[in-house]
Amino acid sequence: MDFFISLVIAGASVGSVYALVAVGLNLTFWTTKTLHFGQGAVMMLSAMSTALLVRHGFSEIASIFLALALVGLMGVVVERIAVRPALKTTGSMGWVIATLGFGIVLQGMTARFFGSQAVAFPEVLFKVQDAVVIGGQNISMQYLAVFCISVLLIVVLETLTRRTVLGTAIQGIAQDIELAVVQGLPVNLIVSGSFVLSGILAGIAGILVAQIGGTVDPAFGFELVLSGFVAAVLGGMGSSAGALLGGIILGITGKLVGGYVSTAAEHGIAFALLVLMLAIRPQGFFGRVEVSKA
Amino acid sequence: MNQMRERLTWLFNNKYAQLGLVVGLLFGASYMQGGTVQILSFALVSILFAQSIYILTGMTGQISLGHAAFFGVGAYGTAILSKTLGLSLLVSVPLAGMLASLVAFILSYPAGRVKEVYLAMMTLGFGQIFLEVAREWTSLTGGVMGLSGVPSASLGTLLILGAKLTTQDYFRSLLLITVGAVFFVRNFSQSRIGRSLFIVHNSELAAGSVGIDRGRTKQLAYALSGLFAGFAGAFYAHLVGYLGPDSFTISRSIEVLVIAIVGGLWSIGGQIISAIFFTLLPEQLQIFTQYQFIVYGLILTFTLILLRQGIGGLLFAPPRFIRPHLRAEAKRQRIPSEFLRSHANSTQISVKDITMKFGGLVAVDNVSIDIPAHRITALVGPNGSGKSTLVNLISGVFPPTAGRVFLNDADVTGRSDVAMAKLGIIRTFQDPRLVPHFTVRENILLGAHSQMTYGWFAAGFGLPRANQQERLALQQCDSIIELLEIADVADQAVESLPYGYRRMTEIGRALMARPKAILLDEPAAGLSDVEMSRLAEVLKNLKSFGITILLIEHHMDFLTDLVDEVVVLDSGSILFRGSMLDMRKDAGVIAAYLGMEGVDAVDGGEGVAHA
Repeated sequence: MDFFISLVIAGASVGSVYALVAVGLNLTFWTTKTLHFGQGAVMMLSAMSTALLVRHGFSEIASIFLALALVGLMGVVVERIAVRPALKTTGSMGWVIATLGFGIVLQGMTARFFGSQAVAFPEVLFKVQDAVVIGGQNISMQYLAVFCISVLLIVVLETLTRRTVLGTAIQGIAQDIELAVVQGLPVNLIVSGSFVLSGILAGIAGILVAQIGGTVDPAFGFELVLSGFVAAVLGGMGSSAGALLGGIILGITGKLVGGYVSTAAEHGIAFALLVLMLAIRPQGFFGRVEVSKA
Repeated sequence: MNQMRERLTWLFNNKYAQLGLVVGLLFGASYMQGGTVQILSFALVSILFAQSIYILTGMTGQISLGHAAFFGVGAYGTAILSKTLGLSLLVSVPLAGMLASLVAFILSYPAGRVKEVYLAMMTLGFGQIFLEVAREWTSLTGGVMGLSGVPSASLGTLLILGAKLTTQDYFRSLLLITVGAVFFVRNFSQSRIGRSLFIVHNSELAAGSVGIDRGRTKQLAYALSGLFAGFAGAFYAHLVGYLGPDSFTISRSIEVLVIAIVGGLWSIGGQIISAIFFTLLPEQLQIFTQYQFIVYGLILTFTLILLRQGIGGLLFAPPRFIRPHLRAEAKRQRIPSEFLRSHANSTQISVKDITMKFGGLVAVDNVSIDIPAHRITALVGPNGSGKSTLVNLISGVFPPTAGRVFLNDADVTGRSDVAMAKLGIIRTFQDPRLVPHFTVRENILLGAHSQMTYGWFAAGFGLPRANQQERLALQQCDSIIELLEIADVADQAVESLPYGYRRMTEIGRALMARPKAILLDEPAAGLSDVEMSRLAEVLKNLKSFGITILLIEHHMDFLTDLVDEVVVLDSGSILFRGSMLDMRKDAGVIAAYLGMEGVDAVDGGEGVAHA
């Protein structure tokens, strides 16, 4: 039973990070109907630069801020050089491939200049052995902190989109971008902003996962972003609550399968869920089918 | 520049040049070093693999980020069959190709349900599933340790019918197979099936409107693409002699995508050059290996944006999708446009009490109309009055919420658009839906899809059956082009032509589909006066052939002398039906639609797209 509970806790914690990734993907999906397929590399970049900055004597907090500023900047870059031109000239193939390519460039450059070896990640959030006992159950402080940070961020973001003018503007763009332009909303700025925020969320997710895993290497983000896709698709693209639920379901399912069936199947299950969900209910648990005239 | 392109294209398509190159390589292999032959063999594998992307992504527009999986199924398939079961290569390679094709075919079912970004994710996930299976199913694949000792020419363990194949022999066999595959794909792209993949890519609605089944078309594309990827993988397996899961990661899927995109997604020639380039470059330029990943990334980021057509677009004239010799042969004989008469058979379309709701919106509300044969019926009404919805209902784009549709006396309610097209109910769209890089002639020929019956095999191998059907369709196509008076632009890509020609092209495509009844959604919108009078002549001709005609139109002057009857819709209900003259006097119509200012106020009134 202890084993079961520890798996569930670990799963929920990792799953909440998947949800964070998914919410980051949702942000750009709202504003441009695009996803950053290179988001995995963004997560890697943020975790990697945090680790390297700390190693070079920066304080942990400063390192994290610098790393997040860097990935935020990358958000603007990818939007300007990959997404915007591709949306103008080609269909969806253009931006899927361009963002994928951008991620590969980031990953390739990191591997080229910092080597492809795994780098130890500093303990910024508690120590590995820190734990609290709740109801007789040892719970790792790191897992707990990761879970709380992710959920808190998602809740704050969701509240902001619902309650603020900016949030309403984003929802307006999501509904009808041309109308938003006509209404005089600063659409370009908001679109760029959504990419920055999406990058920062991915960056935080990268740091959180690196904290749990202990190391980071150039190929680190790839499976993570796939898990983010799965979480987003399970919950329904564009839904924050759905992403949270989808992420946690995915995290727990993965850990349980890994614990009771085989660790090998842990990876496979996410992709199997993805393909199944897309095939059976592409709109996800929370998404609604759009009614339209042809 | 254009001249150079023409020359290169001529050279590339020249039979003697092709023959010379192949024969040269066949004999030249004896004088090359083993290493060189090996690298050339890798290039051939890449060419084969790129063909599979050409079919799925270039032609059908289905993105795949998991193509390494099909490649891997082919590679592991032949390795296991030949090594573990001891089967001959002559059996194991084809079986492995078919296995990959089967896997792709199965994937096409879930993949066919999703589009664009979801498809990209699904294929990415599929590639990862394959990788996990290859890693973990140790008893079959050797797991992460891999599968060594696969019969291979470079190890000297490759036997065919008892004879040992050298690296050179293997290269020669591979060369012949690759050349065969390239010709197959080229012929295929210039066939009814190849063209149908392109229209499914560009507009699934338009595909359905001429009776092209989107689902089956995509399934075929997946199956064929899987077959080529599987073959490429199988030949790769016997080239290297060792397989490990690391050979089938996302990197390989990306590599083949890079090759296809740099070559040009629509250009077979470009992809060949690109495949050779990307195989030889890392071998020749050591420094490239260090930056390989970065270079691939940069290429992916910028190529589709900056150089949409890739190398192929730069070096060669745009590919054409009709076999040139058939076109030349078809020119020798003419068919008068009266051939259209033979398919029309006095078809009356009737809708009875039909209703269509979208969520809470009632677009068509309990409408009954007869659209009689030998007549031109016009459907007019303000924007949002349900005209296009009615056409969509009749042509089977969606089934009605309530009510029935009849052709003469046969109940055809709820039939799909593909089924309706096969019954001879052909429609056009408010905004012409064509394949932009096809010529007028190629677009019109899309309409002949259902009348031709030959399959992918006949298409790829250019069998006489296929050629004969194509010739007949080309002759009919000529006759339609003449009827529409668009002969002078018939061989230009439609994307380069003014709007009026695109409308005419779409009408041509509808005519090519052997219509019994034709439903035209605002055919005169955007036409000049000259074009409009030509269109009126064409419609009168069609009427005289016995084709039932329904047209949605706003342009009252255009309708006045043309139509036999006019039906006015307002808010989903029929407001008036009768002659044009009576309509102009009808108080209800004037109030609801024409406004108090009179008839001319609505001339040329063009609506927001609501189809």
